[in-house]
Amino acid sequence: MNSMGLALAILGASFAALFAGIGSAKGVGLVGEAAAGVVSVDPNKFSKVLILQLLPGTQGLYGLLTAILMLSRIGVIGGNTAELSVAQGLMFLGASLPIAVVGLFSGIAQGRSAAAGVGITAKKPEHNGKAIIMAAMVETYAILALLVSILLIYNIAI
Amino acid sequence: MGMGTEYASAVAVVKAMENSLFTKSDLEQFINARNQNEFETLINSKNAGTLTEVWDMLRTFAPDSKELEILLYRNDFHNLKAVLKAMISGREPDNYFIEPSNVELDDLKEAFRTKDMDILPDYMREIAIQAYEILTTTLDGQLVDSLIDTTCMTTMQKSADNSGSDFMRKYVNLITVCADIKTAYRCSKMNKQRAFLEVAICGSPELDKESLIRSALSGTETLLSFLEHTTYGELAILLKESPAQFEKRCDDIITELAETARMKAFGIEPLVAYYIAKEAEIKNLRIISVCRESGADKETIMERLRELYV
Repeated sequence: MNSMGLALAILGASFAALFAGIGSAKGVGLVGEAAAGVVSVDPNKFSKVLILQLLPGTQGLYGLLTAILMLSRIGVIGGNTAELSVAQGLMFLGASLPIAVVGLFSGIAQGRSAAAGVGITAKKPEHNGKAIIMAAMVETYAILALLVSILLIYNIAI
Repeated sequence: MGMGTEYASAVAVVKAMENSLFTKSDLEQFINARNQNEFETLINSKNAGTLTEVWDMLRTFAPDSKELEILLYRNDFHNLKAVLKAMISGREPDNYFIEPSNVELDDLKEAFRTKDMDILPDYMREIAIQAYEILTTTLDGQLVDSLIDTTCMTTMQKSADNSGSDFMRKYVNLITVCADIKTAYRCSKMNKQRAFLEVAICGSPELDKESLIRSALSGTETLLSFLEHTTYGELAILLKESPAQFEKRCDDIITELAETARMKAFGIEPLVAYYIAKEAEIKNLRIISVCRESGADKETIMERLRELYV
C-alpha cells in the first residue's frame, strides 16, 4: 500500500505542473497570436506587446514551483522517499488541485484578457499600462491558488 | 483555438491599421487642397491602401470565412450586370467592373463568352442564365437590373442566416431595408406596376415586402407615411427632404453598426467592421474628389461626407 500513497502524491505533483502549464501555454500562445499581428504592422511595438505576452506565463511557473516543493517534501528529490499511506497520498493530490485547476483556467483567462489588451497597445500605445493592469488582475487568483497549494503541502503530516 | 478567440491575430492587425484610417482633419486637408495636384500628393502621402489590398489582407487571415464573402456579393452582382450590359452593347466590360469580388472577373467573362454558366458559383448561376435570357429576348435592362439586385439581397440574406452571425444578419438587413426603401420610393414616383415591384423589392424581416409594395402602389404620400410608422421613419423623412442625405444616412447606419463590432477583441466582426470602415473611407475620398471637380464649397462637401469610423 505504501507505493500507492507515493504514486498519488506524485500524480499530484504532475497535475500541478501539467494543468498550470497547459493554461499558460494556451494563454501565452493566444497573446502571441495577437502580438504577432500588431508587430506585423508596427514592429516598434514589439517590447510593449511582449510584456503582455509574458503575463499568462506565470501560472506555469507556479505549477512548476508547486511540483518541486511537493516532490522535495515527499523526498522524491533529495533522496529519502517518504512512506505515504493512501490517505496521505490523496492529501498531496488534493494539495496540488488549487494551482492545477486555477492555473489552467486563469492562464487561459489571462491570455484572453492580455490578447484583448494587445488591441489597446495597437491602437493607443500610450495606454499600454492599462492593458497590463487589466490582464494582471487575473494573476491574483493564480497567486491565491498557489498560496493554498503551498500551505497544504507544508502542513500535511508525514 | 476554439475558446471564442478566433482571429486574435487578425483583429490585432486590424486594430493597428485603424490608426491609419483617415481622420476628420485629414479629410479637411484634402478638401482645402489648393489644386488637384496638391490634393493627389496629399492622398498619396497618407499611403492609404486600396480596398483590394485590405480585402487580400483579411482573406489571408480568414480564408474560409463565409461572413467576409457576404461583403462582396454586391460587387459580384454589380459585375454580373456589367458583363451583361457590355455583351449587349458589344463593349469590353473591364471598365465597369468593381473590385474586390468573390467571382473572378475572368471567370465571369469566360462564362458569358462560352455560355457555360457552370463556371459561376452556385449563388449566381441561375440568375445569370435567367438574366441572359430576358436580356436577349426582351432587351429589358431595367427589369434585369432589378432582378439581379433583388437576387443579390436574397443571396446576402441567405448567407447571413447560414453564417449564424447576428452581426452579419443586421448588416444585411440594413442594406436590404435601405435598398428597398429607395426602390419603393422611385417606383411610386414613376407609377410602376405591381409586377415590377414584385421583382424589384426584396423584403426583409423588419420591412415586409407585401406591405411595402402595397403602400408604394398607393402613391408616394402613402408610402412615406407607412415608412414613418416603422423603425426606419427617419429614413423616410430624409428621403422626402434630400436624396443625398438619405444616401448618406444609409451609409452612416452601416458605419454605426460597424462601430458596435469595434470593441470586440476576437472573432470575425472587427474584420468585417474594418472593411466597412475602409469602404466608407474610399467613398469619402470619391465624394471629395467629385465635389472638388464640380467646384462645390467646403460646407457642401462636409455635409455629404460619411461619418468616420475612428
